[in-house]
Amino acid sequence: MPGFFSTLTLNQKLAAAAAALGAIAIFANPLPGGAVSIDARTLADIVERDADRIEPLELADWIIQGRSDFRLIDVRDAGAYAKYHVPGAEHVPFSSLTDAALPRNEKLVVYADDGVRAAQAWFLLRARGHAGAYLLRDGLDGWQQEVLFPALGDATTPFQQQRNARLSNVASHFGGRPRSGDAGAAPAVAAMALPTPPAPVAGAGVPAGGAKKKKEGC
Amino acid sequence: MTPLAKYGAFGDEMGLVMAFIIGIGFGFFLERAGFGSAKKLVSQFYLDDLAVFKVMFTAIVTAMLGVTYLAWMGVLDLSLVYMTPTWLWPQIVGGLVLGVGFAIGGYCPGTSVAATATGRIDGLVYVLGLVFGTVVFAEAFPLLKGFFYSGSYGQQTLPGVLGLSYGVVVFAVVLMAIGGFAGAGWLEKRFARPASQQ
Repeated sequence: MPGFFSTLTLNQKLAAAAAALGAIAIFANPLPGGAVSIDARTLADIVERDADRIEPLELADWIIQGRSDFRLIDVRDAGAYAKYHVPGAEHVPFSSLTDAALPRNEKLVVYADDGVRAAQAWFLLRARGHAGAYLLRDGLDGWQQEVLFPALGDATTPFQQQRNARLSNVASHFGGRPRSGDAGAAPAVAAMALPTPPAPVAGAGVPAGGAKKKKEGC
Repeated sequence: MTPLAKYGAFGDEMGLVMAFIIGIGFGFFLERAGFGSAKKLVSQFYLDDLAVFKVMFTAIVTAMLGVTYLAWMGVLDLSLVYMTPTWLWPQIVGGLVLGVGFAIGGYCPGTSVAATATGRIDGLVYVLGLVFGTVVFAEAFPLLKGFFYSGSYGQQTLPGVLGLSYGVVVFAVVLMAIGGFAGAGWLEKRFARPASQQ
């Protein structure tokens, strides 16, 4: 046997080694890749750097640009989701977050009515090993305040005018309208009617309408 | 645990630095394999030198075995590794465009950069064409968008499509590679050109 082995060329030896490794790999079960553990220091660091959140206006820009490298998850109950949800959001009730078939190699943005429930969902997802989980800052409240019904400030300088024009454009894109004048005199956001919800998106596992990935890779 | 980027070992900026370093390494080994030369690269289309096929398949098998064993040992979390989703029709057309460009231009995107780095004019022309094509594609994207997102099948894997276990597919790909290398050796002998023509 050693005599036979020495007659092989280097390429043949390498091929034999690859074949042997491949044969052993038949018994390998490399998925799902071991137990999940929470690194408290990593999480604390992420929170410290505000790297756990997406700003409402940032999300609005992503949706307008048709960006597809993220999935938007609405963790509220079915009634609230039917009444209104952010366009493109998938409905995954909080109770089923633990066994939803969400991909772990995609960016997930979760939101609820306020920031607290979304933060809890974020923690749950991070604990389940979804390294790409983010939360929408201030949830739907923030979305209404800053995207649907943004308060327009003074428009004396060109910069402020530009900013107001942008806010108005974004608001009208999502069926809202800006509150003009100073924030105190404007009607309360809660009193404003929410736009008709966009067509509902099927639950986890189906990419959001038009929201497809095109990042990384070569 | 790895992948390092997904575990927050470094941020986006550091990710670019890592990509740069890995890219330099990739280019270096392309050049050392002789892939900075269009003559060497197009030889595979004349079937007299299948080095490209052999190097690429070797890389695939090496990476596949490495990833499999690292994941098996619990060092790598495979479920966090990014996979390009399948958009069947645009990917078939894209593959054909790349193949035709490869046969005509003598380079593929990576090797053209390696060739340019070693001072080859044809490589530079190819890179300029690459940039030009990218700009044209980007500007025409609104027109192409419908097609670009057609035939979506999400993230597909061979074990999933074939209904086989992960390990069996790994073994099958290794056997396929060894068979491919033997076949390539036979083709190279069959289509070998006389030394005067090389």
